[in-house]
Amino acid sequence: MEIAISDQGGLKAVAISGEVDLSTSPKVRDALLDCILGGSGVVVDLSQVAYIDSSGVASLVEAFQSAKSRKLAFALASVGATPMRVLKLARLDQVFIIHDTVDTAIAALG
Amino acid sequence: MDLLADMGRDFAASRDIEGAMSRALTRIAALVGAEGGALFLLDDAAEHLVCHACFGPVDIKGLSVAAGQGIVGRSVAANKPEMVRDVATNPHFQGALDEKTGFSTKSILCAPMAVQGQRIGAIELVNKITNHGKGDGLFADEDLTFLMALAASAGLAILNARMAGELAQQEVMRRELALAAEIQRGLLPPPGGIDFPVSGVNRPARVVSGDFYDFFTLYDGRIAFTLADVSGKGMNAALLMAKAASLFRCLGKENLRPGRLLQRINAEVCETSLRGMFVTMVAGTYDPATGRVVMANAGHEPPLLHRVDGTFRALEAGAPPVGIPPELTGGGPVPEELLHLDGGALYIFTDGVTEGYISANQELGDAGFKAKIEQSLRRGEGAAQRIDAIAACLTDSGQPLRDDVTLLVIDDSGPARVRAESGLQSDEQALLGPIEGSLCQLSVPGRAQSLILVRRAVEAASLACGFAKEQTQDIVLAVDEACQNVVRHAYGGRGEGDMVIDLRREQGEFHVLIRDFAVPVDETKIKPRALDDVRPGGLGVHFIREVMDGMDYLPPPDGQGNLLRLKKIIRA
Repeated sequence: MEIAISDQGGLKAVAISGEVDLSTSPKVRDALLDCILGGSGVVVDLSQVAYIDSSGVASLVEAFQSAKSRKLAFALASVGATPMRVLKLARLDQVFIIHDTVDTAIAALG
Repeated sequence: MDLLADMGRDFAASRDIEGAMSRALTRIAALVGAEGGALFLLDDAAEHLVCHACFGPVDIKGLSVAAGQGIVGRSVAANKPEMVRDVATNPHFQGALDEKTGFSTKSILCAPMAVQGQRIGAIELVNKITNHGKGDGLFADEDLTFLMALAASAGLAILNARMAGELAQQEVMRRELALAAEIQRGLLPPPGGIDFPVSGVNRPARVVSGDFYDFFTLYDGRIAFTLADVSGKGMNAALLMAKAASLFRCLGKENLRPGRLLQRINAEVCETSLRGMFVTMVAGTYDPATGRVVMANAGHEPPLLHRVDGTFRALEAGAPPVGIPPELTGGGPVPEELLHLDGGALYIFTDGVTEGYISANQELGDAGFKAKIEQSLRRGEGAAQRIDAIAACLTDSGQPLRDDVTLLVIDDSGPARVRAESGLQSDEQALLGPIEGSLCQLSVPGRAQSLILVRRAVEAASLACGFAKEQTQDIVLAVDEACQNVVRHAYGGRGEGDMVIDLRREQGEFHVLIRDFAVPVDETKIKPRALDDVRPGGLGVHFIREVMDGMDYLPPPDGQGNLLRLKKIIRA
């Protein structure tokens, strides 16, 4: 699992690739919370995520709540079929703000 | 005469020999009319005489004099009484004690205590009491004769009391040994029932045994078994036996392969064992569903495979015995052998069987052992009766057992019949058609880093069962979530135990059995959370329920840990 963070239009674009499971989700959580505690809104690029489990979803939920309480933007982008299936199972597809691409997310939030 | 009878009774009735000696001395001194007295006993090494009782103005209890020294020493060494009527005129009198104690010794009587040439000690009396100023305070010849008679009786009473004490101690030892034997018998498994394919017998040559056998059913229906022989036959062998047996019971449930299991047991035994003691040991698993045995042999007598066609095959050991330090042997797993019993039987036994006497000067031997099996089979006897018959020909031969007699048999005839009747495939057929039963089994440490391996295996097995890619992803997620719960909750994130995942195809269903070895979970506390409550965590069980067709906890076969089963129906 890899995490790449870039500044785009005043937001942090956090691109995650590989498999997010119990052993790697703490890194995702830490990276997202770092951005938010640093005062940035976040767009999470899930296009390269091959697998995500409940602990990975929990990291996204925690970051989302943290951003919300600080009135910062938080969105998911490019959610592939596999992570989307998991979000749907958790009924979180209706909770997260989800954009087709990182660019549209930044255009909408920035 | 009253004194003699009383003294004998006192020593016989009392467990306190010292007290009885003190009472006897007091009465003897009073009867002879002595001012003081002491009773000396020779110590175990026969090097010193130690005062065990004393009477009179000076307490010398505990005083030790070198054997052969002084009046007491010479009297005991020569087994002759001594009288120093007047010490003032005797060169042997040391007088050192008088200087220390301020006591004034005038006259001494000393009579040895000995029974049939065995020296026990002596009684010494000092200073004859003057009768109202009459007499000279010195002993006379008749006093010595009197003391000799009393000392001889006291000696006999002390010897008897000592022997009685030793007998009592032997009785305590005997009872403790019987208790140890009872505990040892408790380490052997209870008989498995009429149709159970594994049975064993153990007949110790002495009270306790250095041999043991064990067997128990694993969670997937296989049977783990072992038989071992500890070098020696005494209490030390029995204790090492208890250790090795416990290690097998404990480690055997961790689903290790037999070769790895023996390697682990060896490492544990070597860590603490006394040098020069070792255990020859066979360990393995038998699967009644297939008739297959996986077995490892550490230095033990070759087990004997008896095939249905009547031929025998001896299976030689693949490694030295347990107890040889790993650094001497390279320390790898003990090599394993895969056997197909195909309705035959596997006999594992200790050398006490083949080297046991069936009559004066005649050992049972290999040929005799095989002949006994064949005879028993012709009589139509079951496997348990067969090994009982072999043990009986050694225990009932009229010859003492040379060594412990221990046998274990794995009889595949019953399971082979069941396999044939139920039409379950033999190994060869199974290779051609779709596999039923276990497809893949993996044992991984219960930590987060193991989950990726579990996912890969589940994915492969799911695809092999014909599930589509999307369904496979769901199944992978469900199994991952279930394993996460083991890692996080059962093992508390400490990675202290293994998880065993068994992927099975069972009559149109894909089953995933997840076994852990942690404290049993409270099933009622496992429930999915309400999804409108958006918060991190608690989603795993919901995912499993959503994705799978069934989820239940099974009783783990040996009552240890948890066994969770997930099911998914295979739709054509």
